[in-house]
Order: sequence, then C-alpha cells, then structure tokens
Amino acid sequence: MTELKWVEQAKGGDQRAFRALYEKHVDRIYRLAYRMAGEEALAMDFTQEAFVRAWNRLDQFRGDAAFSTWLHSITVSVALNGLRKVDRHRKRERSLEDAAPVAVARPQVEPGVRERIEDAVNALPEIYRTVFLMHDLEGFSHGEIANALEIAEGTSKARLSRARAKLREALGPAMQEYV
Amino acid sequence: MNDERRDPMIEQIRAAYHAPGETPKEEMWRAVEAKLGETENGVVDLAAQRELRRRESGWAARGMGLAVAAAAVLVLGVGIGRMTAPGGGEMAMIEPADVIPSSNGVALAAEQHFGRTESLLTMARADARTGRIDPMTAQWARELLAETRILLDAQPAGTSALGELLLDLELVLIQVVGAAETGATDETLDRTELELALRSLEEGEVLPRLQAALPGILAGA
Repeated sequence: MTELKWVEQAKGGDQRAFRALYEKHVDRIYRLAYRMAGEEALAMDFTQEAFVRAWNRLDQFRGDAAFSTWLHSITVSVALNGLRKVDRHRKRERSLEDAAPVAVARPQVEPGVRERIEDAVNALPEIYRTVFLMHDLEGFSHGEIANALEIAEGTSKARLSRARAKLREALGPAMQEYV
Repeated sequence: MNDERRDPMIEQIRAAYHAPGETPKEEMWRAVEAKLGETENGVVDLAAQRELRRRESGWAARGMGLAVAAAAVLVLGVGIGRMTAPGGGEMAMIEPADVIPSSNGVALAAEQHFGRTESLLTMARADARTGRIDPMTAQWARELLAETRILLDAQPAGTSALGELLLDLELVLIQVVGAAETGATDETLDRTELELALRSLEEGEVLPRLQAALPGILAGA
C-alpha cells in the first residue's frame, strides 16, 4: 500500500493506517528531535507531540509535498517551541546526568572534547544550529530543510556555511588534538 | 553522504553532540495512541476534533476573509464620505483635503477597519512571543496597511487625533509587513523587525488608542 493511501485512510480516522505512517517515519523524527533536544525524555515528548499534531491536522495535508516533509516541518516547529520553553530550565539543570545514559551507546569521544563540542554547537544561533543538525548530523538535503523550515535552499546553504565556519573557529584548535 | 560530511570535525561532532540511541518506538506509540482518542476497530471519528480546530482558528480565517471583503467596503465608505461631504458631488472633483472624515460612510469604514486592526495587532503580539510571524498574519497586515492608506487619503489637511492614530498605525503595519518579508530570508532579522514593530506598538500606545477611538467613531457614524 502506498504512503498516500495510508494518509487518506488516516484522514478518515483509521489509526492502523496512521500507525503504518508512524512506523515508517518515527526513527528519523526521533533522531532529529533528539539532536535538537539532547535528552531522551524531551526527544520523546517532541516526537509524540509531532505525531499527535500531525494526526490532528491531517486534513490540512494536501499532498503537495511529501508526507515526510510535512512531518519534518511539524517536528522542527514542535521542537523549537518546546526548547524555547525549557531553555532556561535546561541551562540551570544542565549536567552530565542527561548525557550519561546515551553516552554508552555512542562512539567514544574524549569527555573534554564532548563538552567543547556541545558548547560550540549550543553557542550557534538557533537558525544556524537547526540547519547544521539537520544537514550534517542527520543527513537531510537542503531541499528537505528548505521545505521543513520554509526557507529558500540558498538560505539553507548559507546558514550551513556560516554554522561550519563558526564551529571551525570555535573548535579548530581543540579538534586538532584529536583528529 | 558527501565529502563535506566526512570532514573529521563534523564526524567528531556527529559522534559527540546529542547522538541518539535506539528509538523507543513502542513506548512512544502508546503515548501517541492514548492521545488519538478512544477507538472502535481502530477507527476514530475525527469530526469533533476538526470542529474544535475550526473554532480555534475560525476567527482568524474569518478575519482574513473579512479583510479582503472589507477593502472593497472601505473604498465604498470613503467614496460615500467624499460624495456626502459639503460641496460634494463628483468624486473626481473632490480633493482628499476637502473630505469630512466623520461622515457616515467613512466612520463606518474606519470603525470596521480599527476593529480588524486591533485583532491583527493582538495576533502580531502573539506571533512575537513565538519569534516568528505567521504568514496569515503577514498577509492580513498587508491588506490592513492598504486600507489604512486609503483612510489616510480621506483625511482632511492638518493634524487630527484620528489622523495621528492612522499614521502611527501605518508605521506599525509597515514594520509588521517588513518583518514578515525579511523573515522569509533570515529569521534573525524577522525577530528584530518584529521587536521594532512591537516597540512602536507599545510606545505609541496604539492598541489603547484604537480601543479609545472606537466609541467616538461609532458615535460619529
């Protein structure tokens, strides 16, 4: 069955069709949410909210773009708004507790380097950081990013370029020690 | 994956920055499913949810529709004002400076215009809190800006409270529209422009003045 068929059935209220859409897209949505949030609980919240919002707004999906594009757009919006709400709290509460459980599953990175990387990426303006995370860390194309963020592809490329330049400036000397 | 993403620095960042673990699919689905509503045979009646959503967004959509229709009403109102102004007759022969703004047509048009503008500015303030202008708000602002200029053209020469209010309104609307346009290419500018617009809104006390002006305009109608 095609994805469009699932969408049509889900529009009619068929949860099984929506589950099929969920299964197909949840990995990428969760990964994006996690990259943006940096902690499992928030990433789960954002992912869940994105799917619930998509379900509630299915009648607004016209099929002009791919369902995945529409879903990515919702996810980014949910995550950015959610992060703004918790930003102050996160800065206050930031600790290694959040990073420790997932660090086990991640490739080994020197602790000092990890902190410098997190500081450097977190210091990027939100508009650059979002494009960088989507493109360089999660493999979204500029076309996908442009659609999700409602910007031009050229803007996406420009933001990525600026993000990389800022990261090189911030991390250059530190990375030389480990690369 | 292209060469740029094989860059050692980016590889390091990918490994170190918020690297996700395995997706907790089932746990998340249970939470999602619980919010989709009670089901029978996996089928949900979405009518109630959609009705609720329509109610939530209806006032904005109605505002948009009214704004388009109102532009025509506004032009008609100003036209009537010009026709009924002392010495009025042929519209083409009357200069804007000759028009009395409190004539029924203009007053009615102004009253409707200010009501919609108040709604728009309230939406813009809400948008400012999210840091981004909704395209619907931006489109509405453009239409209200055009209407404001029509009303400004209909003002008599010299200063008046209504004229000053319209000029302040024009400035705020220009900034809201500008913020929306720059926002299409750069969100940072979008936010800066929006903040400027809202500062004008607050400093000029435009919303309270609009609210105060409405009864007077109604009385003049």
